[in-house]
Amino acid sequence: MSKFGVDLEVHIASLRRYARALLRNNRADAEDLVQEALTRAVARSDSFQAGTNLRAWLFTILHNVHVNQVRSKAARPVEVDVDDVESKLVTPARQEERVELREMMRAVDELPEEQRKVLLLVALEGLKYDEVAEMLGVPIGTVMSRLSRAREAIRTKLANEGGVALRRVK
Amino acid sequence: MSVQRVSEDELHAYVDGQLDGNRRLAVERWLADDAEAARRADDYRVQTALLHDLFDTVLREPPTDAEQDLTDRLKGRLAFNDNRPAWHARPVVRWAAAVMLVVAGAGGGWFGRGTQAPSPVAQQQQQQRQTLATFAQEATQAHRFYTSDERFQVELGADNQDELNGWLSKRMGRDVFGPDLGRIGFRLIGGRSLPTDLGAGAQYMYINDADKRITLFVGAPQSGNTANFSFTQNGDVSTFYWVEGPLAYALAGRLSKEELLEIAKAVYSDVKAGPPRRDPPQDQQRPQEQQQQPQQQQDQPAGVQPISDTQKPKDS
Repeated sequence: MSKFGVDLEVHIASLRRYARALLRNNRADAEDLVQEALTRAVARSDSFQAGTNLRAWLFTILHNVHVNQVRSKAARPVEVDVDDVESKLVTPARQEERVELREMMRAVDELPEEQRKVLLLVALEGLKYDEVAEMLGVPIGTVMSRLSRAREAIRTKLANEGGVALRRVK
Repeated sequence: MSVQRVSEDELHAYVDGQLDGNRRLAVERWLADDAEAARRADDYRVQTALLHDLFDTVLREPPTDAEQDLTDRLKGRLAFNDNRPAWHARPVVRWAAAVMLVVAGAGGGWFGRGTQAPSPVAQQQQQQRQTLATFAQEATQAHRFYTSDERFQVELGADNQDELNGWLSKRMGRDVFGPDLGRIGFRLIGGRSLPTDLGAGAQYMYINDADKRITLFVGAPQSGNTANFSFTQNGDVSTFYWVEGPLAYALAGRLSKEELLEIAKAVYSDVKAGPPRRDPPQDQQRPQEQQQQPQQQQDQPAGVQPISDTQKPKDS
């Protein structure tokens, strides 16, 4: 079935976008994560059952790889100059010219990672709540409360930092 | 209908397009009475839009060689019987198709930004041909994508066709409707709005008793020069496309050219005749020239509007 190949590429493009958003717009890290996830997917392709949810399978692999990466980085902390990180975070990328985009970027960055993940998976990638719950290994109620907290936190930040921003994009 | 309390979770599910039709209506009723909740839903939608603005650019970056290589290997591993058709072989085409679909699939409620700048008159015809070919390809890909998983095949069901048509018309800024194809055995199951090269588009999905699904993709070309039926085939999906009045149509299905042509003829005569509203039926025999007049029915009132639809494509 040729549609399978197209689906796969669609899902992988989606993975790349999610990885970029998850890793705070750091392109190199995001590419590393996606490559690692795809490598794992190739190695474990036997575990995919035809006809099941390919997208959820891929996102779950990426999630697991990410968790492992975070864990191993935590085990071997790398010395990083805080100023470097800071400047990387606030350097406006080309697509962040609009004030509200910069504010949104910052608001998303400041979310606790567990909330950021849920928000990105749901709002950016359009995953179903139960898919997210299964992928993260948490009850669906947890997904909903994280989603709610993430959205309210961003809402508060955007409202504080520039009340007009929200209205302007509409 | 009895009033059921609307939960916080349902507000999110509403924003995320994860509610079924009945509960959607309940939430809409709630939002009509609760300005604060309506503002929240609105703000959540804006957040989603901002996320797409921030990160959809990633989709337009070509994959790294390593990613492409791994993708190809994975494809080979997962789909041993994947007889990839020739057009797939061009990486740019594959990548572009993926971009289009991820943008389309995400969030359910997002529509493309940016209508294209007008081109010199001399190029217009060539451009229209090109645009239509792109449109047909988008229709084909959207068909492939949204028929691949029944769980997200439509964004809004056809239980209430007025609502469906009103909603999609609002999205597109044009009056669109899904014709009744019951007489040829296809039942409308719903639709979704999608970004296309031409701005916001609408996809209607139909199914017959044999579970065969067809989709009608509607877009709004800049120059609405009437164009005759064209045909394209990508892999196992056949697509007929044409322009009628201010709209471009593409009908896609996993059917033979001949089978699909019969359906395309039915669709053609229906959309030409106009929507089967409560109004008296329009004259079906209007000459083609009259179809070219731009029908700017932007403010098509619709009974019930999801809150997100307060966004207008023209503003973005």
